[in-house]
Amino acid sequence: MRHDRLVLILIWRELSAGLRSMRRRDLAWIVAGGGALLAYAIADIAIALQAAAATLLQAQMLWTVGLPGALFCLGGFAGSAVARLCLSRAFAPFLKALPLSLVERRRMAAVAAWALGVPLALIVAAATGLGCFVIAKPLAPAWGLGAVMLFGSGFCLAAVLRLRSARDLVGIGNADPAGEPGGRKPWLGAFDRATPAWLSSWAWGLPAGRVRFSWRLAGAAILLGLAAVVAGSISLAHHDAVPAAMAALAGGLLVFMLSARFHPLGSPVLRTAPLGFVRAWLRLARLPLQLSVAFFLLPAGAALAAEPSAWAMPLASGFWLLVLNGAYAVFAAYFMTAPFVAALSFLSAIAYASYESLEYGRTVLIGLAALVLFLWHRAQRRYRHG
Amino acid sequence: MDSSIDPAEILAVRRLSAGYGGRAVVSGIDLSLVRGDILGLLGANGSGKSTLLRAITGQIRPLGGSVTVDGADLAGAPERAKSGFGLAMDPSDLPAALSGRQYLQLVASIRGCAEDDWPGVDVAERLGLKRWIERPIAEYSLGTRAKIAIAAALLGAPPLLILDESLNGLDPLAAFEVKRIILALASSGRHAVIISTHVVESVPGLCNRAVLLADGRMARAWHARQLAEAGRMPGAFEAEVMRALTVQAADG
Repeated sequence: MRHDRLVLILIWRELSAGLRSMRRRDLAWIVAGGGALLAYAIADIAIALQAAAATLLQAQMLWTVGLPGALFCLGGFAGSAVARLCLSRAFAPFLKALPLSLVERRRMAAVAAWALGVPLALIVAAATGLGCFVIAKPLAPAWGLGAVMLFGSGFCLAAVLRLRSARDLVGIGNADPAGEPGGRKPWLGAFDRATPAWLSSWAWGLPAGRVRFSWRLAGAAILLGLAAVVAGSISLAHHDAVPAAMAALAGGLLVFMLSARFHPLGSPVLRTAPLGFVRAWLRLARLPLQLSVAFFLLPAGAALAAEPSAWAMPLASGFWLLVLNGAYAVFAAYFMTAPFVAALSFLSAIAYASYESLEYGRTVLIGLAALVLFLWHRAQRRYRHG
Repeated sequence: MDSSIDPAEILAVRRLSAGYGGRAVVSGIDLSLVRGDILGLLGANGSGKSTLLRAITGQIRPLGGSVTVDGADLAGAPERAKSGFGLAMDPSDLPAALSGRQYLQLVASIRGCAEDDWPGVDVAERLGLKRWIERPIAEYSLGTRAKIAIAAALLGAPPLLILDESLNGLDPLAAFEVKRIILALASSGRHAVIISTHVVESVPGLCNRAVLLADGRMARAWHARQLAEAGRMPGAFEAEVMRALTVQAADG
């Protein structure tokens, strides 16, 4: 069909327009700095793989379950994210008026998802094949081919599921709002009134401040609640504070990352108002932080009850939760319109810092702190000067 | 506050250059507004009107020159300078998820005033916003969005009101009411107004000063007396503006 490549063309145009809008100096920094970092990371990983080659070759579980499972899951995540991106373009507001059916829009998104998925699969294959080659694993090219098949299966499965579940967003966008009577009180009235009022409702996109029930929200709440209860129960049963304290830290951070949204920082509504960056940033972090602390308290209380003598552990978890939440809030303010990119960058930075700290000790944390300060400075500058 | 600053001067723009990615879109702009002024900002598409207003409101960093609002330097004391003006947002920049009332409460909480603290009049009532005010802004028409943006800009009665093509989408009654409010603000002697518009014919009746931007520079300026004279003869001001635009286009 003649429309099939429309979404792909749109994404390509967006990418090229984004690159063209950047200053050459910034672009050069990203290419040179990013390239150097990538080369360093590849060299570092190759050396680490070589050092651990004997152990890795012996680990049967890694080759039979771990690696295939990881590749399949990675493909699934990538497929879901790419399909979501393509669907959002297929239902872009300026395409709403075009006489394109739901099936045609799905096909446009599928073509684009396929075109984006192929290079991703090739990168995964090259990385896996190269990794096997470095540790002298027999049949390295075959492992690369297997990686493509596993990654591709996960990618296709997730992408197809997401594309099939896409509803007619054109119809939804044009729905008659008269069916939803106005005048009801906003649900977050008691929590979101601090100055500047309604900032979290805006950040979360709650229509007129009202929370709408969704299965995704309910599922996340049930899962997080279950995790807290299970971790607390294990701690109480074994009189060991560690499981509950770790669940409190990880769950609290997850709740903060899922709920923190900072896109209002890019809006002229705040940027032209007599409101400083720090105040706006703190206000946007406030409700997510309250949610994070609310989650933290249950497993942390269980940890304290399970092993009262180890009171320092939940306390340290609470301290690190605040530090990590603060660091993520900086990443999210920098990548204000792309929370997924913010989360991915933050987790990558934490993972990489943890990995390097094995070699260089805690001094790596200074590098991480410097990165957070740099992102803070850039986010503040963008808020002030666009 | 600098003792050399005229207390009646609300906006002082000196040798301002501004643009994007290091490239100047407007340059060499000098502008001074005192209380009681209503300035009509005219110009063709791409002439630099919105860029100038973005630089004045602190949305982009000036490449050169300075902006002072009500005695506060925008670069040195941005929050104090920004408390000196109310900007009617572009309809696409409004927080679509919030209801009209929530948006007014958001702006009022930042400005430290009540959500109905308008200068002298109940703007929501006058602009017919009451029946929409509890609904999300996403459901508003272009005109209703323009109304809520103007109502929010007037909250706290800032000394300088800035309307960037905000009159375009209004229905005739709302446009009439907004013009009445603007004239009342200026005649009170406590406020000044900048109106960027393509509706050239509305300028002589509403503004006491006008400026024409062309290619990022001030190509022509009209004082109160010149505008009053042009306003007496129907179509005379429009003809002058069109002539200036044609000359600029030919020179360009």
